[in-house]
Amino acid sequence: MSLTGAAATATEPSLVEPVVRVSSLTKRYGAFAAIEDVTFSLDRGTVTGFLGPNGAGKSTTLRLLLGLAEPTTGEAHVFGRRYRALDEPARRVGAVLESNDFDPGRSGPNHLRALALAAEIPPGRVEEVLQLVELARAADRRVRTYSLGMRQRLGLAGALLGDPELLVLDEPANGLDPAGVHWLRTFLRRFADQGGTVLIASHVLAEVAQTVDQVMIIDRGRLVATARLDELAGRGETLENTYLKLTVREAS
Amino acid sequence: MTAQLRAELLKLRSTQTNLGLFLALLGLVLFVVLLHGFSVPVERISHRSNQLKLVFGWAALLGSLFAALLGALSITGEFRHGTIRPTFLVTPRRGRVVAAKVWACMLFGSAFGVIAAAVATGVGSAALTMRGLEIRLDGGDYALLLAGCGVAAALWAAIGVGLGALVRSQVTTVVGICAWLLFVEGLLLGDVGLVGDVGRFMPGALGKAASGQDPLLTPGLAMFLLALYAAAAAAAGWVATARRDVA
Repeated sequence: MSLTGAAATATEPSLVEPVVRVSSLTKRYGAFAAIEDVTFSLDRGTVTGFLGPNGAGKSTTLRLLLGLAEPTTGEAHVFGRRYRALDEPARRVGAVLESNDFDPGRSGPNHLRALALAAEIPPGRVEEVLQLVELARAADRRVRTYSLGMRQRLGLAGALLGDPELLVLDEPANGLDPAGVHWLRTFLRRFADQGGTVLIASHVLAEVAQTVDQVMIIDRGRLVATARLDELAGRGETLENTYLKLTVREAS
Repeated sequence: MTAQLRAELLKLRSTQTNLGLFLALLGLVLFVVLLHGFSVPVERISHRSNQLKLVFGWAALLGSLFAALLGALSITGEFRHGTIRPTFLVTPRRGRVVAAKVWACMLFGSAFGVIAAAVATGVGSAALTMRGLEIRLDGGDYALLLAGCGVAAALWAAIGVGLGALVRSQVTTVVGICAWLLFVEGLLLGDVGLVGDVGRFMPGALGKAASGQDPLLTPGLAMFLLALYAAAAAAAGWVATARRDVA
């Protein structure tokens, strides 16, 4: 099966530095390789779905990309540098890796204020991002009382504080109701149309299929395919078929 | 660095955890000081050193203990609730985060120590006066008590942050600190005396000596030695945090 797309752009000569460039990224825990030799790059203005079964290595890849974990070998660069070497990371990259990374005893606005202080973002921005994620009215309570959907929105608000150019989201639609999912899609589309770049990890194909320009499929730690959705459609394949062919072996 | 410090100070103020710690500290100081002030036999608290040790000096141990818990919770809470991820995404230079937590917790911790000492001074004096005992402490002793408890608690807050960063598990860190201060030092090093004179150089004992409770160790030297412990703990937490992956 020959799939082209995002990975191919890394090998073509380009004058524009890709927003994300991951090369031969490997993370081993003892003998177990969580991801192995993962290579891809993301161009400005694209929305990329990062798909794979649970435990395939999506979250590991994102943690390595964002400097939370160190790779065993290989490199992960955002805007041409390691994440940990970025000067004002919150103004370049916004990320949500878990849907519940809050102190339950702290209010949503205070959670955001603490992040804004650390990133030297004016405090007025907190109110702006709360309105942006449509959380402004309900937010001024302890996060303990938030629904899962509200927590997703609060997490996204935190990622948007610095008005970043790249959004990295892990399962962002988890817990959102249908209206929330629709809102998220519209939001991400608009973000990309204005030149932003989005990387969404998900194991829910339907969540992604309507939002993304291209997909990367990872299985058992290895990137098994990258493809533009319009190319798949041109070959008469659906995302679901492609995904299942590549990731389900034991079904035969 | 200032930006991170302000963020950490807001984090300390914006949950009720530390208010709860503070109220628990006040309650315990009141209870322990009153209990000893009223119950220790007259012949055992007629001297200055005994009055300091058996009545007023409890502020040093309790202030240090609660300051250490404040420090430990400030970092282990981030690991427990996952806020360490957004924290490190915004400030990937993790040393800054640990350093800011150390300074912020030292500030809050010193307040814990000074207020504990002030409360102990007030209720301790009242208790002794009501029993008709003459208070042997002078102005200098009180000043040293306030300053020594403030410094000891601030340094113990730094120890708490360092240990918390090293251990990461909230329960293990909190139990460890309580066990060390309330039992290990007290029993093995003090009462049972297994290790002889070494006990006075242990961090809990130094916290008390900082307010003049050890006749063989000047408060200044005690503060200096305790500061070495604090620096070692903070450095260990700093290194561990910089090197380890975040899940």
